[in-house]
Amino acid sequence: MTTSIQEDKFDLVREVIDPEALVGHVRAGQDGAIVTFDGFVRNESHGRETSYLEYEAYESMALGKMKEIAAQIHEKYAIHRVVIVHRLGRLEIGETSVFIAVSAPHRGAAFDACRSAIDTLKRTVPIWKKEYFADGAVWADGELPPTPPSAKSAS
Amino acid sequence: MAGRWGTGYNFWMPSVVPSLRVKVLFFGRLRELTGLAEEAGELPAGATLAQVFERYAERFPKLAGFRNSMVVSRNQEFAAWDTRISAGDEIAFLPPVSGG
Repeated sequence: MTTSIQEDKFDLVREVIDPEALVGHVRAGQDGAIVTFDGFVRNESHGRETSYLEYEAYESMALGKMKEIAAQIHEKYAIHRVVIVHRLGRLEIGETSVFIAVSAPHRGAAFDACRSAIDTLKRTVPIWKKEYFADGAVWADGELPPTPPSAKSAS
Repeated sequence: MAGRWGTGYNFWMPSVVPSLRVKVLFFGRLRELTGLAEEAGELPAGATLAQVFERYAERFPKLAGFRNSMVVSRNQEFAAWDTRISAGDEIAFLPPVSGG
């Protein structure tokens, strides 16, 4: 059931994300379910009206971390294929910033794996969002990724 | 460590601490604050990532205030601050992540 990460797809793009094409990538005869997560730009932040967002990434590391997420969910859940795509640059209200699709023979694994993928992405993938308002801009608060406690105990 | 013994002639141990060339990257608010996205750094051999940061905090004093709300990576893996650098390392200073 579970296949290799080679069939998965990871990308950082500057153009509009096409969810339909990405769903097509994970859909195969052996599957019975696809769960997707479509994260898109909200029109407000903490009660302030958002004009647009700008995303930047440490691209090579971000792709590496996205692959790690896929490897983790393949390990933990009986899933088939994974797609994780994040957009960078300027995004307008309503545009998709992140899209994840997970296929599996059965829905339970697909739901759990998709949820795990987006939750982990928000904690560990080096991507940053700047929110622009009519009267200024701020970097979104974000989350501090977990780091090894000390080099002395690391191998 | 070089020169620790101080006396005598020790021809294989240079009197100056050798330096390492590394690549240093800044992202998000840290990039804005330093005005630096990337630069080649020359750092003393044996330096830890914390010491690399301190060096930049001397050059950009406002950086110091972010020390507890950032992480560091070495060769694209999150790293502990007491990790020692090696020649050719790619070191990045990363604010809290906010993708998604």
